Amino acid sequence: MAGISTHVLDAQRGRPAAGVRIDLSIREGDGWRFVKSMTTNADGRTDGPVVAAADAKVGEYQLEFHIDDYFKTLPDAAEPFVDDAVVRFAIFDVKQHYHVPMLCTPGSCTTYRGS
Amino acid sequence: MDRPLLTRRSLVIAGAGGMAAASTGALAQTSPPAPQKPGALTVAPTSQAGLGPRLTMHAIDNFHGTPGAGMVCDLSIRDGDGYRPLKTVTTSPTGRPADPLLVDDALKAGRYELLLHVEAYFQALGVKLPSPNFLGLVPVRFVVRDVTQRYHLPILFSPWGYSYYRGS
Repeated sequence: MAGISTHVLDAQRGRPAAGVRIDLSIREGDGWRFVKSMTTNADGRTDGPVVAAADAKVGEYQLEFHIDDYFKTLPDAAEPFVDDAVVRFAIFDVKQHYHVPMLCTPGSCTTYRGS
Repeated sequence: MDRPLLTRRSLVIAGAGGMAAASTGALAQTSPPAPQKPGALTVAPTSQAGLGPRLTMHAIDNFHGTPGAGMVCDLSIRDGDGYRPLKTVTTSPTGRPADPLLVDDALKAGRYELLLHVEAYFQALGVKLPSPNFLGLVPVRFVVRDVTQRYHLPILFSPWGYSYYRGS
């Protein structure tokens, strides 16, 4: 299945990060056009695809992970070093799937093309 | 289920494995024309012990296993709804800019963005990339809260992913 999916993991606690807001935008000219906001479920994933296969086009996409807000709401959280984590990446082949996980702690974040 | 169940642990391993596999494949494609060589590992890590407040960075190329030399980085600070450019630096052969990004009074509390020119970096090294590349300009966003502290920002990157954290 092609399209875009994600998975947010709280690497400080070693479990999925639930309730993280993610904003999807698409590159248009010099700017970014906001498409939709999603919130991660108990598994740290979005209930539906971030971008469905039928909607995938070659171009640049942006996922803004509001992990700063996520960590601020946790009872024991220190003030995070990582601000909103903005991941910009391109779909270069619509026949491929793009899984873009976000592994985060208050002091670090990691993203990569996953599977 | 028609595919193996991905646990969180297996997902992380699968992701890391995928990164390594991608690196090997792309490396194999790049052998003949190499416009320049990535930075060599010739110096020991730098200690900042005893230094005053500052913001420093270190770009590390996890694709070649070298410092990220020659990486263009644009530093800006949050101002209203946008980011106001502060300076553009290029990393030296050690993967660090020649000078700290901000020192002493120049280090203000605020929300910062460091924009890394990752696609241009790998293009300059002759790495064969998709078009458009998976990563182009990589925004690294972080917060400076206490200007009496040192903030070190290492960024580990490949064409397929990156990681950054508050280092020391």
